[in-house]
Amino acid sequence: MVENHSREDHETGGENKEKRPKFFINDHVDILIEILERLDGRSLCVAASVCRLWCTIARNDSLWENLCFRHVSPPPSSVRSVVLALGGYKRLYTGCVRPVRSRLGRVRRATWAGDEVQLSLSLFCVDYYERLGGSNSNGRLVEKSSPSSLMFLCKPVNV
Amino acid sequence: MVLYDSATLGGSCSGSSSSSSSSKPPPLQQRQQTQQDIDGFLAGAGYRVRSSELRKVAQRLERLETAMVNSPADLSQLASDTIHYNPSDLASWVDSLLSELTQPPTCPSEFIMDPVSNQTVVSDAWTTAEPHMPQVHQNISYEQQSLNNQLTVVPAMEEDSGIRLVHMLMTCAECVQRGDFSLATSCLEDMQGLLTRVNTVCGIGKVAGHFIDALSRRIFQGIGGGSVNGGSAYENELLYHHFYEACPYLKFAHFTANQAILEAFDGHDCVHVVDFNLMHGLQWPALIQALALRPGGPPLLRLTGIGPPSPDGRDSLREIGLRLAELARSVNVRFAFRGVAASRLEDVKPWMLQVNPKESVAVNSIMQLHRLLGSDPNRNSPIETVLSWIRSLNPKIMTVVEQEANHNQPGFLDRFTEALHYYSTMFDSLEACTVQPNKALAEIYIQREIANVVSCEGSARVERHEPLSKWRTRLSGAGFRPLHLGSNAYKQASMLLTLFSAEGYSVEENDGCLTLGWHSRPLIAASAWQAVSDGTADFPA
Repeated sequence: MVENHSREDHETGGENKEKRPKFFINDHVDILIEILERLDGRSLCVAASVCRLWCTIARNDSLWENLCFRHVSPPPSSVRSVVLALGGYKRLYTGCVRPVRSRLGRVRRATWAGDEVQLSLSLFCVDYYERLGGSNSNGRLVEKSSPSSLMFLCKPVNV
Repeated sequence: MVLYDSATLGGSCSGSSSSSSSSKPPPLQQRQQTQQDIDGFLAGAGYRVRSSELRKVAQRLERLETAMVNSPADLSQLASDTIHYNPSDLASWVDSLLSELTQPPTCPSEFIMDPVSNQTVVSDAWTTAEPHMPQVHQNISYEQQSLNNQLTVVPAMEEDSGIRLVHMLMTCAECVQRGDFSLATSCLEDMQGLLTRVNTVCGIGKVAGHFIDALSRRIFQGIGGGSVNGGSAYENELLYHHFYEACPYLKFAHFTANQAILEAFDGHDCVHVVDFNLMHGLQWPALIQALALRPGGPPLLRLTGIGPPSPDGRDSLREIGLRLAELARSVNVRFAFRGVAASRLEDVKPWMLQVNPKESVAVNSIMQLHRLLGSDPNRNSPIETVLSWIRSLNPKIMTVVEQEANHNQPGFLDRFTEALHYYSTMFDSLEACTVQPNKALAEIYIQREIANVVSCEGSARVERHEPLSKWRTRLSGAGFRPLHLGSNAYKQASMLLTLFSAEGYSVEENDGCLTLGWHSRPLIAASAWQAVSDGTADFPA
């Protein structure tokens, strides 16, 4: 029996070599996630435009959470609920953490790594508060063209 | 060639004596008299131009200078022609030069030199707008090289105009202090004329423009304040918000105060913050978030916001409170808000704040205490009243942020000088901001402050800034002791400034207080205080 089996395999071996399916990453979502977790913010955004599956995965907030707290000691668990309430990790990263890191990176001081995230969180919160005002109010308090407290981060300032 | 009758030079001396004998006519007549004097000087020097036209002449000369610099033609042709253009009639002379330069230049250099030498003679006689070209070269040779030399000193001329503006501002302020309003008025006109030659989009020109406005407001509208303090609460809040966005001063104030309050509330479960000027409540989201994330969980937070009453029945304080409550709810912080509407801080009484004896209180004053320094002899000093009831609340911490400037001196000229330096520095720092409309509205915010400092007196003048050293004395005398702000606050402030990407800001630590400044001139100072206990057991940690 075993010999028959192996002979069958051997007979079909040649055909299998031609018809063997290639490795398709989309079939292995867990591996895909592992890989995407190690990308930087820009690459992650680019990855989101590859296909629908990648887009769904890249929008997953936990990937962005990873990005925010990379190189930093893991934050307490209460941070997650706060960040999610204020708009999510992707928004936190693109709006605050990335510009803060890139600007502070010019003046690299090792003691600041954890505080960068703290400061980003505070700025993020102020921004959330301002967005609250834009949507809820009767329109007089904060208009469409209202100042956003994160504007100074977005626009590069040439000295 | 003689271009004017030299005998008429003697006529200029007789013109000067006529103005000194008049005895206080109304300003308009005085101005007319001065103008007639100037016309007399000009005529005496051989010029057929009136002082009222001089501004236009100056503008045209500016255009002439630009045309000369940009002219592709070889300017040496100017030296060779001999057509007479009657330079004594300045206006048409400049026009003719201008039209020549747009075509091949045929104007001889002699005719450019002569008026120059004339004007160096009479430049002491009047101070209104003069043509660009003279003043730098006292020894003028009638050669073509000097023409080129003159053209290259034009950038220095602009700086020169800026310095002259500053000198004239001081002169005008001194006149105002002396009460010599007629001379002050003519100074003002001179300055308006000078302003046309200086770049008013940035630098000294812009600041000078605001100070000139404030001075003219003081001279012509009196010291009652008028429309300076009349901005509606909505406008003030909007300008404040844009000032918050455009430059880091308010952000620094908020973040530093929040850090101090956070550290003071460590370990307390029931906390109450009193904000002396709520505005849009931009300070509090960051504190709420920090309290939400503190180890041990968030406390019960009560916020009492003081603000001006809203005119049209809209309860803006309540709206802000609702927004803050919504944010607190999102991050699971138990929160309660109370609004106290008062048009002046001294009208607030401690019972309105409803402080619970078991809770820890923090008092937060961002640029509010200086408004209480105006002393009315009929009432008790408001600052002492307010400080004593703050003390009676026994706050765990009182955070005070004030402008670092001495704008409360009794002498007008000292105040004016100090304000000129302070606000010039502040405007310089604002140049780093490019985000519009923040920048323009932030400038209006600062401009209102300038107008209040310069043109108001008595109870209308609320911007009575005092430096940190004076506040230290005052607060220590009122029964408070200083709390050091600590390295976390310093670190956070430094990071915040680095984010602003402008290389001029500097945070400094000043004996436990933090100051933020532009190029080592501190502009805003943050400090923290605690009431000295009267011997009871509650000793601060």
